[in-house]
Order: sequence, then structure tokens, then C-alpha cells
Amino acid sequence: MKIVVCVKRVIDYNVKIRVKPDHSDVDLTNVKMAMNPFCEIAVEEAVRLKESGVATEVVAVTIGPKAAQEQLRTALALGADRAVHIDTSAEANERIESLTVAKLLAKVVEEEQPGLVILGKQAIDTDNNQTGQMLAALAGLPQGTFASEVKISGDEGDKKLQVTREIDGGLQTIELSLPAIVTTDLRLNEPRYAKLPDIMKAKKKPMDVKSPADLCIEVASKVTLLKVESPAERKGGIKVGSVDELVDKLKNEAKVIS
Amino acid sequence: MNIDLTGDELAFRDEVRAFFQNELPPQVMEKIQRGLRISRDDQIAYQQALHAKGWAGANWPVEYGGTGWSATQKYIFNNEAATAQAPRIIPFGLTMVAPVIYTFGNEEQKQRFLPDILASKVWWCQGYSEPNAGSDLAGLKTRAVRDGDHYIVNGTKTWTTLGHYADWIFCLVRTSDTGKKQEGISFLLIDMNSPGVSVTPIITLDGRREVNEVNFEDVRVPVENLVGEEGKGWTYAKVLLTHERTNIAGVASSKQRLKRLREMLSEPPLGMPNLIDNSVFMARVMETEIELKALEFTELRVLSAVSTGKAPGPESSILKIKGTEVQQMIDELYLEASGHYALPFVPEQYEEEGDGIVIEPHFAPNTAPHYYNNRKVTIFGGTNEIQKNIIAKAVLEL
Amino acid sequence: MDFALNDIQQMLQDSAAKFIQNDYDFETRRRLTESELGYSEENWKLFAELGWLALPFDEAYGGLGGSLTDLIVLQTELGRGLVVEPYFSTVVLGGNLIQRHGSESQQSELLERLIAGELKLAFAQAEPQCHSSITDIETSAERSEEGYHITGHKAVVLGAPSADLLVVAARTSGNRGDQNGLSLFLVDPAQPGVTMQAYPTNDGFRGAEIRFDSVKATLLGEVDSAYDAIQATLNDAIVALSAEAVGVMEKLLNATVEFCKVRKQFGQPIGKFQVLQHRMADMFMECEQTRSMLYFGAITVAGGGEEASHAASMLKVKVGSAGRLVGQQAVQLHGGMGVSDELDVGHFFKRITMINTLLGSRDEHLQRLIRNAQAA
Ligand SMILES: Cc1cc2nc3c(=O)[nH]c(=O)nc-3n(C[C@H](O)[C@H](O)[C@H](O)COP(=O)(O)OP(=O)(O)OC[C@H]3O[C@@H](n4cnc5c(N)ncnc54)[C@H](O)[C@@H]3O)c2cc1C
Repeated sequence: MKIVVCVKRVIDYNVKIRVKPDHSDVDLTNVKMAMNPFCEIAVEEAVRLKESGVATEVVAVTIGPKAAQEQLRTALALGADRAVHIDTSAEANERIESLTVAKLLAKVVEEEQPGLVILGKQAIDTDNNQTGQMLAALAGLPQGTFASEVKISGDEGDKKLQVTREIDGGLQTIELSLPAIVTTDLRLNEPRYAKLPDIMKAKKKPMDVKSPADLCIEVASKVTLLKVESPAERKGGIKVGSVDELVDKLKNEAKVIS
Repeated sequence: MNIDLTGDELAFRDEVRAFFQNELPPQVMEKIQRGLRISRDDQIAYQQALHAKGWAGANWPVEYGGTGWSATQKYIFNNEAATAQAPRIIPFGLTMVAPVIYTFGNEEQKQRFLPDILASKVWWCQGYSEPNAGSDLAGLKTRAVRDGDHYIVNGTKTWTTLGHYADWIFCLVRTSDTGKKQEGISFLLIDMNSPGVSVTPIITLDGRREVNEVNFEDVRVPVENLVGEEGKGWTYAKVLLTHERTNIAGVASSKQRLKRLREMLSEPPLGMPNLIDNSVFMARVMETEIELKALEFTELRVLSAVSTGKAPGPESSILKIKGTEVQQMIDELYLEASGHYALPFVPEQYEEEGDGIVIEPHFAPNTAPHYYNNRKVTIFGGTNEIQKNIIAKAVLEL
Repeated sequence: MDFALNDIQQMLQDSAAKFIQNDYDFETRRRLTESELGYSEENWKLFAELGWLALPFDEAYGGLGGSLTDLIVLQTELGRGLVVEPYFSTVVLGGNLIQRHGSESQQSELLERLIAGELKLAFAQAEPQCHSSITDIETSAERSEEGYHITGHKAVVLGAPSADLLVVAARTSGNRGDQNGLSLFLVDPAQPGVTMQAYPTNDGFRGAEIRFDSVKATLLGEVDSAYDAIQATLNDAIVALSAEAVGVMEKLLNATVEFCKVRKQFGQPIGKFQVLQHRMADMFMECEQTRSMLYFGAITVAGGGEEASHAASMLKVKVGSAGRLVGQQAVQLHGGMGVSDELDVGHFFKRITMINTLLGSRDEHLQRLIRNAQAA
């Protein structure tokens, strides 16, 4: 079985976000970028399925500028076998909307014919939480979102996928027929650290580069970003002298207890 | 201008020297020789030996049992003490709270507290700083509320040096919230054994317990423990702070440490790198020595002004800044002189109950812990940044 | 010209940073330094798995053939985490000496075990009378029919308590101060005749005084000719240690800036006081200057030759001066909190201070540079 795993290049989650002075967007100059953490979990899951013999090949896909190849290399270093880069450097608008991403991915799915597609449930830059769902709709495949556990059972030819989903207040387990789409939640697994030998080998693994035009998808922009604002500044902590003072402050200043 | 010692002064010097050679308590003597730290008991024994000699109250007026020494005599005493590597005098009782009590306290307080301080029968600690009131001391929040003939005290003091040894603590507390922040502060003496006082250790970078957090929970303090007037604590404390700053300079002990270093440079003990040919290092030694000499004279100028009746003014900030900077320069010279033997952490070599030499050169193991710990001197007693603010404002009128 | 990390270095940095972030927070590190062993064997195995132990070694021995620049990427991250596992003593010192000076069979056997995480090393070089000179060696090795026997006192041997094998520099001929006549030996520290006085160091590592009393030793590589290998290894080691220093300094700077933004006195964040702003601007510049010097040092030392030692000294001087300023000011700006053991800042300060005393201090290297200039 082949697994396609999708990864996105985002601001490293340790970086403190700065907004451009004109509030037009987040300032990305000289900012460290990394693989979206949920995508890392997706890669890890795919690689584990390969290591356990369930999958035979893991293909990592990204859509983004040339630099996004760094994240594909990381996926390769973590254990993916080959990579597909859909290069959007030539597009007028560098902000590619979720629907366009889903359409592009649907094309990749059509070409690759994987048994399973794994994506992060959302990317930490824009928190859209919709690409996986849209892809499922466009590709006409069943989906298991917010996965905290993924199990594959059954014989060759009649494999079933069990997905445990994190839902409000509990867990839900569903069974899907393959091929299917899974989006990962935080607790699905703990991604490994890339090993240095694998990092070096990653350089030699194949990477296909395509443009949206190659896939016959037009990158149109239908949503306009109007304004970005930083979250309200966190106030510094204070040290209280006694339990009474703490209770008093919680009551009268923070107003979190009554 | 004259710095020669008179005949009397020379005689005084010999007397002091003889005291340090012959009259120190034996257990203190032994620890000095073995390079071990002094315990609480040793410290008390030492200060009591000074008291027996009539030398405990070096800065005190004679009427309260002080020595009545001239500036020169104090200078001589400090130099001899440093040469003998005698312990420093723990300042909280003898040089910090006592001047406040004999200057601003009432007759009853003087009689009640001063004799025990002079005889080192009671150990005092200083309760000024709080978690949110460090440099901005006037922002302190520990509250004393009047309840009949008691104050009820609630709050937290921190960085309290040797609070775990102390019998009494002198505190700045808030007695009023109206008006200027400074005007609501009072000077209160609190028995550490009162119910509601708790002491928690804070470990410093050398791995030792030297400072503490002191908590007050509904501590009842008799009103007669208030020094002077309610709301005047800030003014009293400021007088005390200038005393504290003059004290911090540590010129005599810096001189002594530098002198010992120079001796070792000429004849390096086992395990010490040969540094006398290192002109980079030697340049630092010489610069430190020059700075220290200038400081010594600055201190003499301040002391002789004080002995003619003037109180130490904002110039005391110079002593604090330069004195602590020189101390830290010397710390760094010792670090260099330890070479790679600055690395081993072997407290058994220098702790109170240690076994003595584990590593040669003998001075090396304590150099890094001391260097780490002694970063405090540019922080406490008002940080050096705050001292410079004082010079800028009060002296330069900027 | 390009100072950007390449793909491989970037990924190495990311994975090392992630390890520190997830598995090596300050409290974990504190527990390790307080444990009996002083570090974690589990981490050591992980380092082996991640290929970190293989980084600088030839592919012929199962290494990854990484460059000095690859090594500084990793070392900087280890500095940020104040990592106490004996990487420096095993890989940077011991392993490099074996790679440079060992015989073919020693290289393949020992490096393979090292890379697998099964062999930890320590380099016993300095002696009580010699703090950073390579040639001022009194420890001697006598040859008899049963082979070599070593006698002498080695000082402050980092990583010795956990080492499976010691690499010992000893004199086989010539006199104190001669370059010729220095040899390297492998010594099993568990043998009779080896007395080890182990201690923690002031910055959370482990070290020991070691006394050898006619202890059986195996010659590493050729006799009498170890000087060049030691010299080159120590130059590499200065670069690696300086990389760690850069990680430590950048942590100190960041922690201080963050602290000054939230600590309030006189009704405002103390970071608003201009005098502190300038202080932090100075710290920032020193960090950047040191990083620049690190790149210069790494490139020049990798090039070898006369220039290498000169560049290593220049780098070590810069690390000493800048580390002093950044460390001291970080503590000062934290006020009382700076000298408390509870906060991580003090521990980074301790490490940067001790880095200056390792492999020759600022003063020693500066003096060396002056002497060379006078001789030229
Ligand atoms: C070892 C030790 C022992 C001590 N012992 C005692 C004791 O026995 N009793 C007691 O009451 N206190 C004691 N102190 C507390 C000491 O007095 C305070 O630490 C000191 O006043 C600084 O306060 P802080 O630590 O809150 O630092 P902060 O006030 O938070 O200062 C942090 C930094 O900001 C700088 N800063 C603050 N305000 C300004 C400004 N306006 N302009 C420029 N720079 C500024 C400071 O210089 C410092 O570098 C001790 C402290 C130490 C470290």
C-alpha cells in the first residue's frame, strides 16, 4: 500500500510572531520556518505504518515556494521514500487558499492512487482546518479527522481502517474502507528526531517538481486578507504573598472565582 | 594632607596585630588556617572576642559602648583584620540596625537592644527587599496594621541574608497607603520566634544557603518595637543605607587578597599556572591594584570627612560601586590563577565541616563558587545601576 | 560567499533543537547533573541512534564524514541545552585523536564501538604543572618486554568517571617542552595502578584527577610523534567548544531580554531604562561578533596549517571576552534572581565562565598571540 502524506511549510512554532507594521500580514523576513507540527505527526504515522509492514511506500507532498523543499527533505529524512513538490513560486499570489490546495492534492491523489492519505488536521499559521475535509470531498474518499489512533486490519484486498477521533468530551472510533483520508491530532504519536545518516541520505532521494499548470489547476484567489493583528500582550506575572492574597486577586482582579 | 601614622597610632596597630595573632578563639584560628568557612557559632565566638576587648562597636558613639576610634584607627583595624584573614563582622546588628536604634530609637529601645547587639548575643537580619520591591524599595507591600498595642504584620521579605541564623529581623513595613509611597513606610523590629514567621531557604549559585525568603502571616508585633515615628521608616533606612554602602567597599580585604595573589605569583604553589610571565594577566593585576589604591584614598577621604562630623553623603555610592567592582576584578584574577583547577566542585575542601585540602592549589576550589556568589555585591545594597542613578541625580544634579 | 546553513545542517539543527526542547528542559538537566552518573545513558544511546556520535568520523569506519561546520551546528544546540552527556570528551577529543593518530585497526575497531554508543572516552592530557601547553608533559611511558607502562598525574580529566578508555598523552622520549617524544596511549581505567579522584565540576559536568602508577598501556598509532595530532585535535576542540559557547551566550541574551520585558520596578518594565537597553545592545553585539569569529575559526581551522592555531587562539580570546560580558551582564540585569540557583540563567553563566578556563583561557591565548607577533 502506498501512503501520500502532505506537509506544509509554516513559521517555526517557537518563533514569536511579528505582524508587519501596516497589519497587512505576518512578517516573514528572516523568520525561521519549519514543518507544521501536525504534518510532522502525519509523516511519523506514515513512516510507522511502513515500518510495521502495512505500507510499502511513503510519498511526501507539499505545495509552496521553492524553499518548501526544505520541509520535503525533512520528510524524506524522517523516512518518506520520495517527494512531490508543487512549486507555486511563479504564482502571482503566494497565499494559496485551502480549496486550491485541496484541488491540487486531489490531482496528486488521482495520479498516485494511494491507499491512504494523511494530513495534519490544520496548519498552525492560519488554523483553517479544512484542507483534509475538502480533499476527501473532491477525491470522493471517506475521511477520519482528528485522529488520535490509526489501525489497519483485514486481508490484502479487503483492508479496513479504524480511526479513533478526538471529539469534544471524548473519543469516537470509526471504521473506513480504503482508500481513505486521515487528518492527525496532537496525540496520535510523538514524532521522532531526524537521524543524521537519514538526513544525509535524504539528499539522494527522488523529488518531483511540478507546477499547478502541469496539474491543470488554476490558482485563483477568491479570499482577500484584510488585516492581521497580534494577540493582546500578556501581562507579566506577579508573586503573591499569601493564599489569602491569591484568593483575593482571583476574585477581585482576575474575576475567575466568585 | 598627610598619611603618616603617629606614634600612638603605631602602638595601636601593634596592639591590634597582637590581638589577631594571639587572642582569636582557637576554633576560629584553626578554620582560618585550614581555609574552611566559619560557622554561626564561630562567628559569634569571634565577635564576642572583639567585644571582650571593647572593640565590637567600631562606629558606635562611646556612650553606647562604642570604641570612639578615629578614622585612622578604623583604617588600621580593618587592615589588620584583613591581614589576619579574620572573619568579616556580620553587619546586620553591629553596623546596620544599631545606628538606627541609637540615632532614632527611644531610651527604652536603646537599653533593651544595644547591649545584646554589642555583645553579639542576638543575631539580626535585614528585611527590606520583597519579591516585587527590589531596586524600587519604596514599592514594598509588607503591611503592618495597628490592632490595639500591637501591629499585625503580613507579607513576604526576600533575599534575607542569614535569616535562618537570625533571632531578630529589622523590617521596613507599610503602615499607610496614602500620600507618597515613601511616607507610608515604618521601621519595625520583629522577633523571628514570633508565631507566623517562617523562613524558607533560597539556594545561590555556589550551591549554598545564604539567603532566605521570610514570610509573615498575622504576626503580632508589640507597638513598642516601632523605631521612631510611624511613617518615617524611609528616612531612617536611607541613613542606614549610606552606612551599608560605605561598608560594602571592602577595601582592606581587597588589599589583602591582592597581596596574597601577588605573593603566589612570584612563587606559585603546586598546581597553580605560572602567570608572572603572562603580560596580559599581569596588566590586569596592575590595573586592579591601581584602581584599588585610588579607592583606598577615596575611602580615606570619605572617612576623614565623617570623622569631622559630616555624615557620609551620596559620595558613598562611589565606594559601593568601585569597591564592589574591584572585588569582582580580584575574583576574576583568582579564577585565572586557578587555571583548570577552577573546575572541580569539591565543597569538602572549604565548607565549615570540611576535611580540608582535596585539590591543589589549595585556594582553587573555592574560586569559582566565590566568583559566582560574589556577583551579588554589585546587586545588593542597591544595585550599581541604582548607585549611578544616585550620583547622576544627587551629585551631578542631572 | 554564503553563510547560510545547507539543507543537511539545517535539518541537523532542527532535530537537535527539538531534542533539547522536548527531552532536555532545564529541570531534566538538573536531575541529570544530580544523578550518580551525572548524565543519561538513555540519551547517549539516542545520540548514537541519531548519528551524532558518528558525525566527524570517516565513512570508512561507519562515520558520516561531517565537517567542522557540521559539528559546530550540533555543538551550538548542545550549548543551548547545557547538555552534560560526555560528547565533547568522547567525540570531539577522544574520537578525533583516534581518527588522527590511531593505527588502521585501532581506528576501525574503536571508532566503530564509539559510533555505536558502546565506547566512551576521555582525554588525559593536562597535568598539575601544565594548564594548556601541549608539550609540558611529565607523565612518562616506559617500554619493557610486556609493552608500555605509564606513570604520572593527569589533572582535571573531563568525562573520566564515565570513560571506558582513557587516551593518555605521555612522554616516550625527549624533555619537558619538546614536541618530539610525545605519544598517545590507551589505558583501561579499571586497571590496578589507576587511582581516580572523581568530582563534579562547577558547571555540572564530571571530571577527575588521575594518578597512574606503572599502569599497562597500549600505544595509539606511532610512538614519539603525537604532537601534530594533539595540536590539530585541540584546535578542532576550541572551535567546537566555542560553538557551544555561542549557544550558551545566545540563551543568556534571550533570557535577559525576556526578563527585562516582564520584570517591573518603578512602575515600568526595567527594559525601558536606557542604561539597561544599551547593556543588552552590547550583549547582542558581542553574541553576533562571537558568531562571526566562530565562522572564521571553523573555516580557518578546517584549512589546517600554521593559520589554524592562530585562528583558534583568536577565537578563544573572543569567546573569553564576549562570554564574560554576556554572562556577567545577564546575571546583573536579573538582579537577585541572577544569583539564585533556581533560575537557569545562573547555570548558563556558570558554564560560560568555565568555558573560558578550558583549553586555555583568554589571557593565555592572548599572550600566545602576542608572543607570536613578537617572534615574527
Ligand atoms: C545575595 C544577596 C543577599 C541579599 N541580602 C539582602 C538582605 O539581607 N536584606 C534585604 O533586604 N535584601 C537583600 N538583598 C536584596 C537586594 O538588595 C536586591 O536584590 C537589590 O536591591 C536588587 O533588587 P532585585 O533583585 O529585585 O533586582 P531588580 O530591582 O529587579 O533589578 C534588576 C535589574 O534592573 C536594574 N534596574 C532596576 N531599576 C533600575 C533603574 N531605575 N535604572 C537602571 N537600572 C535599574 C537593576 O540595576 C538590576 O540590574 C540581597 C540580594 C542578594 C543577591
